[in-house]
Amino acid sequence: MKIRLENITKTFKTTTAVSNLSFTIEDGEMICLLGPSGCGKSTTLSMVAGLEQPTEGEIYFDDVPMSGVQAENRDIGMVFQNYALYPHMSVQDNILFPLKMHHVPKAQRRERLEKISNMLQIQELLHRKPGQLSGGQQQRVAIARALIKEPKILLLDEPFSNLDARLRIELRDDIRALQQKLKITTIFVTHDQEEAMSISDRILLMKNGVLQQYSTPQEMYRTPVNLFVASFLGNPPINKLPCTLRDGVITLPGINGWKPDALEPVFCGEVQEQAVLGVRPEDILVVTEGEHLTAQVAAIQTLGKEVYLRLHHGEHTLTACLSWDHDYSIGDTLKLKLRKCYLFPSEGGL
Amino acid sequence: MRTNRLTDSPPVRFALRYKAWLYLLPALLVITVFQIYPICKSFLMGFYTDFDYLKDEVYAWGFDNFRNLMRDADFALAIKNTMRLALVAAPLSIAVSLLFAVLLNSDIRCRKVFQSIYFLPFVTSMVAVSIVWAWMLNKDFGLVNAILKVFGVKKIAWLTDPNMTLPILVVLCIWKGLGYRVIIFLAGLQGIDPRYYQAARLDGARAMNRFFHITLPQLGPTVFFLSITTVIDVFKTFDEVYVMYAKEPGPLKSGLTIVYYIFDKFYHNWSFAAAAAASFVLFLIVLAITLLQFGVVRLVALYDERRTSR
Amino acid sequence: MNQTPGQKAAKLLTYAILIAGAVFILLPFVWMILTSVKPSKEVLKMPPVWIPSKIQWQNYVKAFKAVPFFTYLKNSILVTVMITSCELITTILAAYAFAQLEFRGKNLLFLLLVATMMVPGEILTIPNFVTLARLGWINTYKAMVAPWATSVFSIFLLRQQFASIPQSYYKAARMDGCSDLRYLFTVMVPMSRPTVVSIALLKIINSWNSYLWPLISTNSREMRTLPVGLAYFSTEAGTDYNTLMAFSLMIIAPTIIVYLLTQKYIIQGVSKTGLKG
Repeated sequence: MKIRLENITKTFKTTTAVSNLSFTIEDGEMICLLGPSGCGKSTTLSMVAGLEQPTEGEIYFDDVPMSGVQAENRDIGMVFQNYALYPHMSVQDNILFPLKMHHVPKAQRRERLEKISNMLQIQELLHRKPGQLSGGQQQRVAIARALIKEPKILLLDEPFSNLDARLRIELRDDIRALQQKLKITTIFVTHDQEEAMSISDRILLMKNGVLQQYSTPQEMYRTPVNLFVASFLGNPPINKLPCTLRDGVITLPGINGWKPDALEPVFCGEVQEQAVLGVRPEDILVVTEGEHLTAQVAAIQTLGKEVYLRLHHGEHTLTACLSWDHDYSIGDTLKLKLRKCYLFPSEGGL
Repeated sequence: MRTNRLTDSPPVRFALRYKAWLYLLPALLVITVFQIYPICKSFLMGFYTDFDYLKDEVYAWGFDNFRNLMRDADFALAIKNTMRLALVAAPLSIAVSLLFAVLLNSDIRCRKVFQSIYFLPFVTSMVAVSIVWAWMLNKDFGLVNAILKVFGVKKIAWLTDPNMTLPILVVLCIWKGLGYRVIIFLAGLQGIDPRYYQAARLDGARAMNRFFHITLPQLGPTVFFLSITTVIDVFKTFDEVYVMYAKEPGPLKSGLTIVYYIFDKFYHNWSFAAAAAASFVLFLIVLAITLLQFGVVRLVALYDERRTSR
Repeated sequence: MNQTPGQKAAKLLTYAILIAGAVFILLPFVWMILTSVKPSKEVLKMPPVWIPSKIQWQNYVKAFKAVPFFTYLKNSILVTVMITSCELITTILAAYAFAQLEFRGKNLLFLLLVATMMVPGEILTIPNFVTLARLGWINTYKAMVAPWATSVFSIFLLRQQFASIPQSYYKAARMDGCSDLRYLFTVMVPMSRPTVVSIALLKIINSWNSYLWPLISTNSREMRTLPVGLAYFSTEAGTDYNTLMAFSLMIIAPTIIVYLLTQKYIIQGVSKTGLKG
């Protein structure tokens, strides 16, 4: 099902949680609502679900306006952050609860239960209580409960935040596979950019209730529209250096031996004379000649296949992410080349 | 997908709008009729001097009831008896319960069994309890005197000696509420972080010191809660007196409590207005005591603050 | 573990006090049981006979015959069941409104209700009697039940309990098309089982034992509950202590059995909330 939000605004008493939000989700897409906490992503999800009514604007499902349609009639399955599994009911009763509410005939209930529990590999758990399950198992049961209604839309609210790192990766791959198999339109909310990048078709990044960028993960990473988007994505975060731009030439104050040769920055927004130069850690290369600048190694953090270097040049600090094919030591002076860089207007909130 | 037409129909919209009130209705009805109205009513009734309760017609108003109450030696006695009972029974029963709770909280076997036993009187009918106590306190054939005789104590006329009424009621108060108070204290004791005790031990505090410097201050709120509930309970003493003394207020009216007085005025004399006036006085006393206790707690807290801030 | 003599003595003293306390608590119960099966001639013997020479069940039959026991029993059961179920329904609904629903004046109303908790129930007796007399309800079950059909304290406790259930359950249930009422009874109440059960149990015990109100609100023998009947019988029984104790025992046995079977809930309810019923 296609979902379209038009000029949605939501205000609570004095605060505006979401302001003038418009976007479209195509049928079968998996969309991630991303942003720091309090950015309005959960409120947006609640409005799509019908648990909150927008103050202004309209939500359409396949071009049908949804205002006045109760949550239970929107044909939506939802998984909550704490799963909201009823502790007093067995797993089976939990999964069947939505069908019971919709008065689905018994025979059909059994059939669907079998199908869904096979799909999520939870057949063994059906007669247990939620309290006896591990976090990952609870997650699967919650998804089964959301999907048994065979909804047109699946909503996931921070679905992985209660799981440990390893399980998180395993489950998000499972969910992605399941979503692609069922071709169900899915929206999930997270504050974890890595999670968002790894499984969604498109990411919708919000800040203070305002949409920042809505694009594929690659596009968002490669061509961020502003400094906020650029800093929110990527780990370690993008390096930010104040600079000036005069006649197409970038100068970095306080950096000696700066050679902006052959540097072709990506312009993000209306860049004036005072600007911010953004460099992703992985775009800093160590070279023997043709460098843009030099810097000293101040700290080294090794992470298995790669190594993070904290580099100092005067008062500036840079983080570089390099493959671990060379042993670095503190105090080394390195010649650095910037493979790619971005230019942002300086009022971008440094 | 269905658009929900139902939510738009007027009666449903009305129900949705006032849904909360529909949920509240049964409880509010009962509370209004049987709790809030009677509070006002008992206040008003205190001022009825001539009325017909069945027709709910009042012919005359006045302060007579309160004036009579103040003049009535029985009422003064009832207040004196109840106060005395509260002053002795409440601190004693709280102290005894605290002792048992502390003992139970130490490393003890069969803690659950003791706890279960102590709680038994709390779930037992006060009427049945009073009857068996009256039987045990029987002067000639009672178990208590028989046991005392073994220790060479002469027969005591428990139920007919006015000096014995207070001790009996105090013991009964301790006996009846021991389990309840022990459980409340145990909950409080288990809420104390054991690290305080470990720290105090390392600082060289002995058991007694630990009790007075850690346990007792930490139990402050529990003691406060129990002192309020116990005093209020004592002020409601009625069942045991009425049953144990065979519907009399004890020898020489030594067991005349406020509630007994109210009951007597109302049930035996049918002077509703006098009883209502007395109930209202009881309400004021209970309120005053509660406020006083709150006040004491505030003062103690204030004093502590001053002392520590110095 | 090695104990110093001092620790050993302290331990012994602890047990001695605890056991003395247990004997003090249990003595009336034991004496009640023993007396209830004694032959009449051993009841008034001095020094007292502890173990009866033969067990005389006849005393129980006598107790049944001396009073319309089964009428009293029926009244007690009916009144207890009605009070408890009414209280549960009214308090659960009201607590739900306070915990989950939005309405104007919610906090003010809640404050008002909490304030009424300060009022001792005894002072309500007379105006309530007058109200019920005017309704013509005196000497009916309605009069015995109505004033106790709700409890502000239970509303307060349940509201706290309901409010501790995360909102996501409510949202999840609503997404599944579960109505408020259904959510309350299929999700909230089962999830709050310990609280609901302890409230119910203490109410059962208290209604069963209550004396003053059933005494006042009834005036015929046919409407008496067991405690009222027992109190009347105690003045008629004279020195028939064995019959009296048999009767008493039959009244306290049900609550003690309920208590022993459901201790966990009762103790938990009391220790967590100070619940008295």
